[in-house]
Amino acid sequence: MLLKLSLTSMRKLAKDYLVLLFGLTISISIFYMFETLAQNKVFLEANSLISSIVFVFHVGTFILGIITVFYIFYATSFLLSLRQRELGMYMTLGAKKRKITQLMFMETFFVGLTALIIGIVLGVGLSYGIAELLMWQLDFQGGGFQPLYSSSLLITVLFYVALFFLTSIVNAWRVGRKSVLSLLRSGQQQDQVKTSGLRTFFGVLLSVILIAVGYYAMVHIAELMQFGIILATATIIPGTYLIFISLLPFLVKRLKQNRNLNETGINSFTLGQLRFRMLNLMMVLGTVAMLIALGLGAMTAGTSFYHNIGIQASMFHANDVVLYEPNETEKQTLATMDVTEEEDYRYKYNDEGVYFLKTDLEAAPPDVMAFEEGSEGFSPTTPEAKLSADEYALYGEEGVTELPGNWWTAVSTELGAGSMFGNRSIFVYGESSYQEVDGEEQHVTLAKLNDFTAYLPELEKLDASQKSLAETYTGNQVEQLGGKYSNYVALKGFASGTIFMGVFLGIAFLMMMASVLMFKLLSSAGADVHRYSMLRKIGVRKTLLVRSIYRELFLLFLFPAIVGIVHVIVGMQMFSFIIIEPYTKIWIPLTLFFVIYGIYYFITVQMYKRIVLPKQF
Amino acid sequence: MKQSVLDVHQLNKIYGKKSEKQFHALNSVSFAMAEGEFVGVMGPSGAGKTTLLNVISTLDTATNGSVKIAGTDITAMKQGQLADFRSSQLGFIFQDFNLLENLTVYENIALPLSLQSVAVRNIKPAVESVATKLGIEAILNKYPVTISGGQKQRVAAARALVHEPALILADEPTGALDSKNARSLMETMVHLNENHGTSIMLVTHDPLSASYCERILFIQDGKLYKEIHRNSTRSAFHQDILDVLAQFASPDMD
Repeated sequence: MLLKLSLTSMRKLAKDYLVLLFGLTISISIFYMFETLAQNKVFLEANSLISSIVFVFHVGTFILGIITVFYIFYATSFLLSLRQRELGMYMTLGAKKRKITQLMFMETFFVGLTALIIGIVLGVGLSYGIAELLMWQLDFQGGGFQPLYSSSLLITVLFYVALFFLTSIVNAWRVGRKSVLSLLRSGQQQDQVKTSGLRTFFGVLLSVILIAVGYYAMVHIAELMQFGIILATATIIPGTYLIFISLLPFLVKRLKQNRNLNETGINSFTLGQLRFRMLNLMMVLGTVAMLIALGLGAMTAGTSFYHNIGIQASMFHANDVVLYEPNETEKQTLATMDVTEEEDYRYKYNDEGVYFLKTDLEAAPPDVMAFEEGSEGFSPTTPEAKLSADEYALYGEEGVTELPGNWWTAVSTELGAGSMFGNRSIFVYGESSYQEVDGEEQHVTLAKLNDFTAYLPELEKLDASQKSLAETYTGNQVEQLGGKYSNYVALKGFASGTIFMGVFLGIAFLMMMASVLMFKLLSSAGADVHRYSMLRKIGVRKTLLVRSIYRELFLLFLFPAIVGIVHVIVGMQMFSFIIIEPYTKIWIPLTLFFVIYGIYYFITVQMYKRIVLPKQF
Repeated sequence: MKQSVLDVHQLNKIYGKKSEKQFHALNSVSFAMAEGEFVGVMGPSGAGKTTLLNVISTLDTATNGSVKIAGTDITAMKQGQLADFRSSQLGFIFQDFNLLENLTVYENIALPLSLQSVAVRNIKPAVESVATKLGIEAILNKYPVTISGGQKQRVAAARALVHEPALILADEPTGALDSKNARSLMETMVHLNENHGTSIMLVTHDPLSASYCERILFIQDGKLYKEIHRNSTRSAFHQDILDVLAQFASPDMD
C-alpha cells in the first residue's frame, strides 16, 4: 500500500524528479566518458599524444565525483522537503517509522538506478562521439577505441551505486529522526534575521582586503611563482565566502535603506526576500561562486589555450612559408594563397656545406621575431646591420665569424636551414666567395601570408613535400621541419586535449553548480507559499508577483555569477606566461556559461512559480 | 440613511458541475451594509461564512448574483482588475496575521501604499498616523518575529487601514489571541469604527468578539438565517448572540 502511495506521489512530483534525474544523468555520462577515455588501453597505446593527458582525466573524474556528492545532497534534500508533510501524514495514519524510512530509501535508490542506466547509455554514445572528434582533431587513423569499456563501466557503476546507497541512507535517516509533528509542520518555520553592525563592517573590510591581496597575487604570479598560487588560494576562497556573508547582505541592506527604491511597488518585498534568502544561502552562494570560477576558468583556459596556437606558432616565426627548391606544384600552391610578401634567396650546396648569397639577404633582409627590451614579448624585427665581413658561419666554424644576432635567427629559424640540411655546415658568403664555391645553385622562397590559418590544407601539402626534400638532403627520415606549420600542428595536438578536458569539466561543473543553487533555492520555496498567497489577498496582481520572482531569483543567480566571472577574468592573468593572449575569444566560454546558467535560472523560476503561486490565479 | 458600502444581492455559489451532485455553498444570500457600519457574520462550521467572505473579498467568484462594493459591481471584473480593486478598496485582517516576516513592521504597513504607487514622501506620514491610531508607533522598525501576537494583529489592522479602504474584512481576527489581547483588539476596532467611520465586516466564531458589532448576520447551510441588532448594552447583546447560537445547536431545529 505504501509503495503504491509512494509511486503516486512520485508521479505527482514527476517534474521535480525529472530535474534530479537529468542532472544525475549528465554527471554519470561525463564520469563514464572521462573514465573510458582514461582507461582504454589499446587506444592510449596507439595514440601517444593522448596518453599524456590521461592523468588529467583521472583528476577530472575525481573532481566530478566530489561535485556530484554535493549535488545529490542538495537535490534529495529538496525533494525531501516536498515530501515531508505527506510522510508525516502517513505516520499520523499509523504507518511505522521503519516503513517510512524504507520507503525513502527505496525512492532515492530507484531514482539513482534509473539515472545510472540512462547515464551509461548516454555516456557510451558521448565517449564514442568525443573519441571520434578527438581523433579527427589530432589526425589519428582508427586507434582501437572501444566506447563500451568494461573496466570504466564497472568503476562508474560501483561509484554511483555506493553514492546512491549512502544518500539513500542519509535521506532515510533524516526522515527517521524527525517527529511526526515536525514533519507535518515543515515549511511553517520562520526565518530569523540577525544583524550586527560592527561584525558586518569588519566582514566587509576583510573580504575586500582578502580579495585584493588574492588578485594582486594572481596578477603578479610571474614574480611570486608558487607562493603566489598558495597566497591566492588562501585569500580568495575565504574572501569569496566573506563577500556573501557580509558584503552582499550589507549592500542589500543599503539598497533597502533607499526609501525611494524600497517603497515603490513590490520592491520592499523583493528586497526583503532577497535579504532573508542571502542569510540562508551565503555558504551555498559562496560555494557556487567559487565553483563557477573553477568551471568557467577550466573552459576559458582550455579554449584560450586552443586559440593561442596561432599566436604561439607565430611567436618564433615572422614568415609563414619556407620553400626550398620550389617545384611547379609548390609554386602553384603558393600562388593560390593570399601572399603579402615574398622573397627569393640564392644558395649553393655541396657535401660540406650550404652557402647563402649575402647580397640577396642584404637586399631583402628576412624579418625575424626578436625579443625587445621593455616590450611584452617577441615582435617582428628586420635585421638592420649590414654584414661587413665577407664570410659568416651559422655555427662557430673555425676561422669564420659567427653570424650576428638577428641574422643568425634569420638563417636558422626563418629559413630553417638547420633542419633542412641536417649535418652540413651553413655559411653566408659574399659575392666573390660565393662564386668560388663548387656546388649546385638553388633558391629558397620565403613568404608571409595574410591569414595563416586560412590555408592549413595547402600548408600541410607544402610541409609534406618540403619534408621529402629535406630527406633527400639529409639522407635520414625527417620528423619535423620546425617551421611555423609544424609548430602549429604540434601545439594543436597538445591544446586539443586541454580544450576538450577544460570544456567538458567546465560544463559538468557549471551544470552541477547551477542545479545545486536551483535545488537549494527551491527547497526553501515551501516557506514562501504563504507570503505569496498573502500578497495575492491584499491585491497584488499576478504579473507583479511573477516579476518579483524573476527579479529576486535573477539577483540570487547573478551575484555568484559576477563574483565567479571577475575571479576568472583576473585569474586568467595567471596563465599569461604560458598563454600569450589569455583573453582571446573569451566570449566563447562566457557564452557557453551564460547559456547553461540561463537555462537553469529559467527552470528555477518556472519551478518556483509552480510551488509558490496558487493554481486558481 | 447612509450610503451603502456593501450590497449583496441574490448571491449564489454552487460547487460541482451541472451533471454532478451539486453543493449550494451560498443560496440566494442578500444583505446590505451601510457606510460606517460594524457588521458581524456568524454561523456554524460549513455554513458558508468563508465562502461569503471569499466572494466579497473577490478571492473567489460567485456562480450568480451581484456584489457591489462602494457602488462597484465586482462580479463582472477580470482577475487583474480584481487585484487592483482589492488593493485599493479592501483591507484584510486574518486570524494568522499574515504579516511578511521578511519585512519590518513599517514596511508591512507601507506595502499597500507602495503597491498603489503612492508617492514616497506621502507614505511615511500615512504609516505613522495609522500606527499612532493603533498604538504601535514604537515598534515600527522591528521585525514581526520579535513582537507579540496582539501587536502582530494590530500591525495587520494598520496594514488593512493604511490605504483607507472602503471596507475592512476581518476573518477571525481574535482567533489566535488570548482573551486580553482579543478584547483590546476588538476595542480598537470599535474605536476605529466609531471615531473614524471605518466600515468593518467581521467573520467570527467567538460570541464575545461578535458582541462588539452593531449587527450580526447568522448564516446556516448557505442561507441567511437570522439577523440581530444591538439595542442596549454589550453584555445583553452577548446574551442575544448566545441565544441564537443555542438555537442552532438545539435538536428542535429538525
